[in-house]
Amino acid sequence: MAGTALPVLPKPAPRWPLLNGLWGVAVPLGLTALDWPVRALLTPGNILLFYLLGVFFVAIRFGLWPSIIGSLTSVAAFAFFFAPPIFSFAIADPENLVGVSVMLVVGIVTSKLAETLRSQTQVAEHRERRASALYRLSKALAEARLGTEVIAIGVQHIQAEFGGRNTLLLPGPDGKLCYPDAPALAMSWRGADLGLAQWVFGHVRLAGRGTDNNADSPAVYVPLQGGGGMLGVLVLELADVRLLHVPEQRQFLDTFVGQIAHSLERAQLAEHAKLATLKMQEETLRNSLLSSISHDLRTPLATIIGAASTLETDGQLAEASRRNLAAAISEEALRMSELMVKILDMARLEAGEVVLNRQWYAPEEIVGSALRRLDKKLHARQVNVNMVDGLALVQVDAVLLQQVLVNLLDNAAKYSPAGRPIDIAVETQAQGLTISVADNGPGIAPALQDKVFEKFFRLHPERAQGGVGLGLSICRAIVGAHGGDIHVSNRRGGGAMFQIHLPLLSAPPTITPEEKGLPL
Amino acid sequence: MTEQTPLLLLIEDDPPFRSLLATTLEGQGYRVLATDTGREGLLAVRNRSPALLLLDLGLPDMDGQDVICRLRKSSELPVIVLSARHQESDVTQALDNGADDYLTKPFSNAELMARINALLRRVAKLPGGVQEVFQVGGLKVELTKRRVFTDGCEVHLTPLEFSLLSVLVRHAGFVVTHRHLLEKVWGASYVEHSHYLRIYMGQLRHKLEADPARPRYLLTEAGIGYRLFTDDTP
Repeated sequence: MAGTALPVLPKPAPRWPLLNGLWGVAVPLGLTALDWPVRALLTPGNILLFYLLGVFFVAIRFGLWPSIIGSLTSVAAFAFFFAPPIFSFAIADPENLVGVSVMLVVGIVTSKLAETLRSQTQVAEHRERRASALYRLSKALAEARLGTEVIAIGVQHIQAEFGGRNTLLLPGPDGKLCYPDAPALAMSWRGADLGLAQWVFGHVRLAGRGTDNNADSPAVYVPLQGGGGMLGVLVLELADVRLLHVPEQRQFLDTFVGQIAHSLERAQLAEHAKLATLKMQEETLRNSLLSSISHDLRTPLATIIGAASTLETDGQLAEASRRNLAAAISEEALRMSELMVKILDMARLEAGEVVLNRQWYAPEEIVGSALRRLDKKLHARQVNVNMVDGLALVQVDAVLLQQVLVNLLDNAAKYSPAGRPIDIAVETQAQGLTISVADNGPGIAPALQDKVFEKFFRLHPERAQGGVGLGLSICRAIVGAHGGDIHVSNRRGGGAMFQIHLPLLSAPPTITPEEKGLPL
Repeated sequence: MTEQTPLLLLIEDDPPFRSLLATTLEGQGYRVLATDTGREGLLAVRNRSPALLLLDLGLPDMDGQDVICRLRKSSELPVIVLSARHQESDVTQALDNGADDYLTKPFSNAELMARINALLRRVAKLPGGVQEVFQVGGLKVELTKRRVFTDGCEVHLTPLEFSLLSVLVRHAGFVVTHRHLLEKVWGASYVEHSHYLRIYMGQLRHKLEADPARPRYLLTEAGIGYRLFTDDTP
């Protein structure tokens, strides 16, 4: 076959090659049978033209060798049946001899032409197939935004085009190649030799099956090169080594891989850019956080250091003064500790370090443990708890939800006059859990009701006992992590009411009733 | 040195905090042996036979959990773990590994003393086993007669409710992890079914507490377990 065009992988195996050869015999014999009854009406030239027609047909339909067999069979049949003497292969008439020779030459030449046409059609078909494969690939890749999506699409398309399981190895944080994080697809291959892949990555050369490096490996290792350097290595399980040795195929593979590499690079650059933006925002936030908290931390520290150094150096202090100083240290340190806890909580929530530990809890229990944590602060205060279905289980992170309630109750105690009651209402319904914490203080101006949830926002920045302005931001972050929402409004009679709504994701589990044979 | 002053072993790697705790405890009349590594601490347990161990969970040389596990292979020494905030799962694991109680930093002097004293008292009582009648405030539990009273009135409990309450009574004043309760009351195959515990604890509170939403006796340690209030509970 012509070296410029074929073979193509997977090679379309000629079906029944012997049968194709038989057509070369059968068609001239058929024509002979057709011509025989009407031989008196036809000149030898006409008959030869009929045979030539048959040879054309065989050439176009079945290829070169059947048509050459056809030409030879036609010549033999003509000599035997039509050229005198009949029933002998001898040809007496020189005119017929010339006719036969010309037909033979014309037959073979046209066979050759038809064959070229055939193979060109095939080449065009394969080119078309590759072009559309590349088109499909680039279309799919154009929609991919993330590196992981590019990898998944690449692996699927490589499998579809080259018929082997494969994987794309990318360098991990330590620079060593590793499998992608995403779960393996059906066509993913997990049997790669990571050492060999690393070599390919370092040397930017092909290795594995069909190459001179580790040729006995079941897979070929192809470097994935982007514009800015090496991106990774494609490991492709290779059924047929010809993929690498036929120039057209190799070029196709290179183009295919190149396109994946470029999309991957684009996705990675986009991800990097996004990270950089996020980092910048974080930096800004960190700066504002630093300036905000440095003041809050310095004030108590000044007291602590001052009091401690007086205690340390002044031996003449009266017992009462010593106690006062010690009390001041303890009080301010406690305040600092509370601030630190809030700052760290917020940082943890913001950093996404907090993974919800959702379990089934009764809201009554969470409210109870929050109230107990604030026992000392709420000491002299009336707290009314109105609970509807407080034992119906909800799936929440109890530690975090308790923190929300503690922050809200703490605020209520801080910002409403001592002695005024705090009201808690809890209601569990099919669509969700609603908890409200309401005080009898001055309330919050409507214009500020959204702002109070912002980080570092304080209603009374001048007040010393105010916090750092993170309590409600922490509440919002925790409620948000539960998929719920929190908002504040003013009660009709005065006072602020914070309301949390958490959606219930699934129906609570049931338990085997005690009578039915549980261990006692 | 007399037999009456118990020796407390302190394993804490932060020098100022270690020296503060040692000073405080000595001021309260205890003898204190302070070490900064788990290895030294375990050695001291063998050689000096302390009465109680205060263990910081974050140590430089080995994991605090490891210290507890190794200790529990050969010793019943009472252990209080000192943890930082947000370490509920570490605390739970330490308790499940055999620690007796925990304190979250920063803690007050009073809390520390209350925990140490309660634990030492329990150890002193142990040979006689758990007392037959437990009483705190208006709550009275008779373990073998399986009777429970609040403010003098008998309360009817289901067998499981009583079983849950009796486990807490046996550890009165100490935190009992969810896992431990599920295992003791429902059996080992129920340790992941924490909703059983919540439902029964809710029922128990409704029967025993005057205000179930502000329990006095059956206290929740969020993310860790439950503690039955005693007069020592800070």
